[in-house]
Amino acid sequence: MSTTAFFMMNTRRTFLAVVASLVAASSAALLGTDSFAQSPADVKVWIAFTDNRLDWTREKAAEFNKQFPQYNVTVEGYGNYEEIQQATDLAIQQNAAPAVVQWFEVGTQRARDFGYFKSIADALGERTEVNGIPVNFDDFIQPVVSYYTLDGKFTSMPWNSSSPILYSNTAILKKAGIETPPATWQEVEAACEKIMALADAPQGCITWPNHGWFYEQWMAQQNAILANNQNGRLKRATRLFLDSEPSVAIASWWQSMEDKGYYVYSGRQRDWAATEQAIQTGTVAMAITSSADAANITNAAKENKIDIVTSRMPYNADMGWTGNLIGGASLWLVKDLPKEVEEGALSFMLWLNNTENAAEWHKVTGYLPIRESSVELLEKEGWFKENPNFFTASDQINNSTVTIATRGALLGSFPQTRDVITQTMEDLMLKGGDPEEAMIKANERANQLLAEYNSLYN
Amino acid sequence: MLGLLPILVPLLAGFIGAIGVGSRFRRLGRSGLLGAACGGLAGGLGSLIFMAPLHFCPFEPERKLIDGVFGVGLVLLGMAIPLGPLLGWTEGEYRRQSGMQPTTRQEKGIFRQWWLAWLLLLPTLTILVLFLYYPGLDTFRLSTLLTFVGAPRSRFVCVDNFTGLLTDRTYLRSVGITFAISAAIVVFGLSASLLIATLAYQPIRGAAIYRILLVWPYAISPAVAGIIFFIMFNPLGGVANYLLGLIGIPRLNWLGDPNLAPWVVIFASIWKQMGYNILFYIAGLQNLPKDLQEAAAIDGAGALRRFLTITIPLLSPITFFLVITNMTYAFFDIFGTIDLLTAGGPSGSTSVLIYEIYKIGVSSGNLGRAAAQSIVLFLIVVGLTILQFRTTERNVTYGG
Repeated sequence: MSTTAFFMMNTRRTFLAVVASLVAASSAALLGTDSFAQSPADVKVWIAFTDNRLDWTREKAAEFNKQFPQYNVTVEGYGNYEEIQQATDLAIQQNAAPAVVQWFEVGTQRARDFGYFKSIADALGERTEVNGIPVNFDDFIQPVVSYYTLDGKFTSMPWNSSSPILYSNTAILKKAGIETPPATWQEVEAACEKIMALADAPQGCITWPNHGWFYEQWMAQQNAILANNQNGRLKRATRLFLDSEPSVAIASWWQSMEDKGYYVYSGRQRDWAATEQAIQTGTVAMAITSSADAANITNAAKENKIDIVTSRMPYNADMGWTGNLIGGASLWLVKDLPKEVEEGALSFMLWLNNTENAAEWHKVTGYLPIRESSVELLEKEGWFKENPNFFTASDQINNSTVTIATRGALLGSFPQTRDVITQTMEDLMLKGGDPEEAMIKANERANQLLAEYNSLYN
Repeated sequence: MLGLLPILVPLLAGFIGAIGVGSRFRRLGRSGLLGAACGGLAGGLGSLIFMAPLHFCPFEPERKLIDGVFGVGLVLLGMAIPLGPLLGWTEGEYRRQSGMQPTTRQEKGIFRQWWLAWLLLLPTLTILVLFLYYPGLDTFRLSTLLTFVGAPRSRFVCVDNFTGLLTDRTYLRSVGITFAISAAIVVFGLSASLLIATLAYQPIRGAAIYRILLVWPYAISPAVAGIIFFIMFNPLGGVANYLLGLIGIPRLNWLGDPNLAPWVVIFASIWKQMGYNILFYIAGLQNLPKDLQEAAAIDGAGALRRFLTITIPLLSPITFFLVITNMTYAFFDIFGTIDLLTAGGPSGSTSVLIYEIYKIGVSSGNLGRAAAQSIVLFLIVVGLTILQFRTTERNVTYGG
């Protein structure tokens, strides 16, 4: 009896003690936040990946948080660039915006018009380092810097930049007696003639996704601009040049490749997966797709006992090669953030793109190493020697001449323009028709969409 | 000229309403003046339903003729909204008076306290208003704007989003495609379902298992159906071409050929919806009176004859119900299948109206144009349903 009573008393005493300490602790916590402001600043980062790229970024964020305990960076993944754009639209309307958003390159003008973001240059001011992390923009490779420089200001932080490259099945090429992968349209056509004449010819010779990005690349290669007012960089573009000679040349060549049975069209626009599938299973001899798939394609093909070699994106020999555009997305800083959140966001973006991290990011994915120093680091490690397929994109971008055309266009209606282009190409391939006429019509439609968009901002 | 319109139009509309309703009232033996007042008010206010928020913009002198015609249509539609029920009511009263309709009213279970009914309805109504009616009404506002998702600015464009559709070739083509695909889904889908249901209804060993297996595809979401068919009809590694290859037919580019792709979509959609149709048909078959069949059999009618002249007419209520649900399915629910199977392609050959709305509204972010398109789609479906009720109901036998 007495033991029970004692025990009960003891329980009660413990209970009281717990309550007392809880009260004390919570009031201390309250006081703490008020007086010391020691809790880390929350920096929310939204990116448009849900695969291993999200995992990598999260690991990096954890590492960053350990190094800079005054910040708490959290990374959230979204399905694709369009989805993240919508999520941002909503978040900004509801005042629940994150600190950093990954925004795709064709949305640049839109981001500018919508006024969601603060330019990196403005946030940095005259500083050359933030929290001890050096800024050093000169170290970024030139095409990347020039793409994301608007009105002479460094606007967003480059991160995942890629370039389209040619992936070739060496066994099939060798069988057809082709020593080196074709470098021009004309060489591709000649190679395809040989390949398709083989007794055990693959189902198709070459494929690439029907995506506006490839068209834009070929425009840039021919040093042809997409829109007036210096591709929309001098001031707002008001007219497109889809009916120009280089543009029609792309459409004609693409269409003729399909007509001859060399180019395989999956029947779907923006079908990246079909291209990847076709090259890594040996259904086609060659494929053009993003360098960001270098790791995936090379490894998957190896599992199928297929040897893949990469080379630069074939160009139109009649017009020569000026250079390629970068593609991908960059990290944008949301405006009107509290000071310490903005500092955290800046620090994280700079840190994520430091020499070592940029090199690692390249190795994990195949995206361009966007710093000169990262390229040097990779060279020193012998990475490119061991993985020559990863070198092609850097080589292609670093040899590009920066002109108005290769800096890339800025259009408010860029996504819609892409839709017009892919639709036109699809119609040309599946229903036939004159490429010049089709491009004239496409231009009318695209101009109309551009005028519609612009009418909101004039 | 526009200055007088906002007064003239409702006056004229009121006049028309007053004459219409007034004369009906007199026929009913009620005060013609009261009828004229009601009709005048209804007509006048009705004409303003669309015009007041639009500020009579379709009639502005710088607008195109087509906008004006559309504006007249909107005035008439606005008038019809209050005048229609009013005239319908007078018509009903007239019939009742002249003894053409039974006057006895059906006894209905009603709540004694009106507030209790509303209280019980409140949760449903709240959800409906918030998530259905309010967005529905807001669609009308959006449809008059040039606006993009997230854009900080928008511009009033009157009825341009609607009249622009008339000259939009992609859109007009999409209307044709929608009707063709929907008709094929309804006709072939229901025929096949009835056939299979008749077979599955036969008393055979393990019938229950067959029936369960037949209903199975209905449990799959349209998106999953899209992926399954995408893999099956993949031109390079799909099983469809493999099977064709076995019997010596060269491989077809199922999803890449504008003439073939719609059929794959139709096939996938029918397969997906079939379980639902079969379920209803089996239930219908089980409820058919046996005596008619027996009597016909005794009279020497063959199985096919009995099926055509007895079973099908007796199943007509179910067929009628299924036609409507299948049509709604074909208009709206095949979005997921199309998105994953063809993404509206190739060459727009499977871009049905609902997919077109998605492309304009979500991919291109043009909210105004998408809102206009969704209103048109809504009206098409409402119109078709009314038409069906009118025409089919007469030929439907609801039980014996």
